[in-house]
Amino acid sequence: MTSNYEYAITTDNLTKKFGDFTAVNNLNLEVKKSEIFGLLGPNGAGKTTLIKMLTGINGSTSGDAQVLGKKIPDRNIASKIGYMPQETGVYLSLTVEQNMKFYGRIFNLSGQKMERKIDELLKFVDLEDWRYAMVENLSGGMKHRLSLACTLIHEPELLFLDEPTVGVDPELRVSFWNYFQQLKEKGVTILLTTHYMDEARHCDRIGFMQRGRIIAEDKPATLMEISGNDSLEDAFLFFSKKDEIQGNEVA
Amino acid sequence: MKFYRIMAVSRRVFRDVANDKRSLAMLFLAPIFAMCIFGVAFSGDVEGVNVIIVNQDQGFTPPLGETTYFSTDIISNLNTSTLNIQNMSNVDEARQKVENGQSSAVIIFPEDFSKNAALKSQNQSYPNSAEIIIEGDDSVTNIKNAIQKTVNQALSDTLTSKGFTPAIKITSNPIYGEDADFIDFFVPGILAFVVYLLTTILTLINFVGERSNGTLERVLASPVTEGEVVTGYAITFGTFGIIQVSLLLAIAILVFNILVVGNVLYAFIAVAILAITCQALGILLSSLAKRPEQAIQFFPFVILPAFLLSGVFWPIQAIPYWLRPFSYMIPPTYAVEACRAVMLKGWGPDKIWPDYLALIFFALLFMGLAVWTLKRGKK
Repeated sequence: MTSNYEYAITTDNLTKKFGDFTAVNNLNLEVKKSEIFGLLGPNGAGKTTLIKMLTGINGSTSGDAQVLGKKIPDRNIASKIGYMPQETGVYLSLTVEQNMKFYGRIFNLSGQKMERKIDELLKFVDLEDWRYAMVENLSGGMKHRLSLACTLIHEPELLFLDEPTVGVDPELRVSFWNYFQQLKEKGVTILLTTHYMDEARHCDRIGFMQRGRIIAEDKPATLMEISGNDSLEDAFLFFSKKDEIQGNEVA
Repeated sequence: MKFYRIMAVSRRVFRDVANDKRSLAMLFLAPIFAMCIFGVAFSGDVEGVNVIIVNQDQGFTPPLGETTYFSTDIISNLNTSTLNIQNMSNVDEARQKVENGQSSAVIIFPEDFSKNAALKSQNQSYPNSAEIIIEGDDSVTNIKNAIQKTVNQALSDTLTSKGFTPAIKITSNPIYGEDADFIDFFVPGILAFVVYLLTTILTLINFVGERSNGTLERVLASPVTEGEVVTGYAITFGTFGIIQVSLLLAIAILVFNILVVGNVLYAFIAVAILAITCQALGILLSSLAKRPEQAIQFFPFVILPAFLLSGVFWPIQAIPYWLRPFSYMIPPTYAVEACRAVMLKGWGPDKIWPDYLALIFFALLFMGLAVWTLKRGKK
């Protein structure tokens, strides 16, 4: 189902400035095909800005990036990527089903194929009983689950998930990660951001982000080993401190 | 009740408003804007109404006297700020101009005007009275009244200065709008105004929602283009516009029994294009608001200009001269004009095409700008 390329994402000194503020600073990143890559970092580290550039929602100030083997911006890749925004990105005044049908239609899905996909995804996010409910009546976590289902409806090759597990209860979070693994086995690449350090262990590789840059990137186990810590939280603090010291030395 | 708690609440609200520049601007600019616009629009009398005078008066020559033209005295007393006078000799050509909408009325002084006036004043039993005939577009009551008032005034001024009192009749023969009441003038404007208002505000709120809840981002990250978003909105709101007009018209006809001379389909077309323009305007305005609540602050700036300048409640001739160009810069003016021409005068596309053209121009312009703001957001 996926096209032929080695790296799903590569960036070359990608930079985004908002006025004087540099949100993403000369960032270099490589995400291999069918890899689950997690971006970790505090609020304002530039994770969402990076994702918005890679999805083509925002342009970059300088630097280049390739997504699915194509230099962005390129509209042709839009049908192969799935984007789940932080703000859930679902229509509150539509029902669960109407939301999914809308997102299906813009990718030219219809008929039996769409119905089957909706059934499958609603089952996966455990919203089968809410199919005809208005989204504004759903809880925050349910909206998040619907948002993920909408992102997956057109079977994208590359997923950008901005905080996909916020407000999702622990049990369902486990099933989310199982599903991500299944997708990975089918060749899907996933770039996600998360605040939950413990669940970042499920990623193939993670990148710690701070002040618009990736300060460390590797397998979760390797990062913990290098830092001499057995939690990713402590590992992050280690690399963050190291980065600050190096930054001060350079300055 | 504790004073310090009351003051804490009050201070917090002050801070809230002071921190939001838009609220602050709203609080102080909107009243100034409203007062100026209302004041200016209401203070004006009807001005610059185009009329044509056809003076066929042959004058009156008393035995051994000089010929006098009573009509010329009246014409020279007409208020030229209210009426914009053009003289013509051919009644039919003049009527044609009223029928085409280039002029509001023809004022005719018949051949024997001075003669009848003079003879009648000398002898009350003289059978023929002098008569001024006004043939006009009576569909706009303000204008009709302004013309009659001006002619009456000129007549009474002339009589006072001459010091004699012949009975002079003013006869009104409507070319358009026979039996038209104010409501007949009002309803076509309301159609356009309601659609303008609801469509702009509905799209504005809807689109600010799209921006703030992430749906717009998700859609723009998909193969959907900015142009497709705007066109999709246009189709929906164009349809809503037609449904709204149908409802409004049904009530106006069935309940208020208003006058409809022409084919309402032509009015529908005008309003549908207006609705398409307005949804684009709503999308444009949405780029200025970050939160749905902020969109509400735009309402006065959406409502007031259209309310005052588009000719819904009073004709554009009742707006001061210098404000009139602004009337032609807002799209509802053209829809109001088109609806009125169709419903009161029975005009068709052959005559209202300039209004259609203007509306299409605005629709394309605003849709283009809406697409541009969406694309700019991606930079």
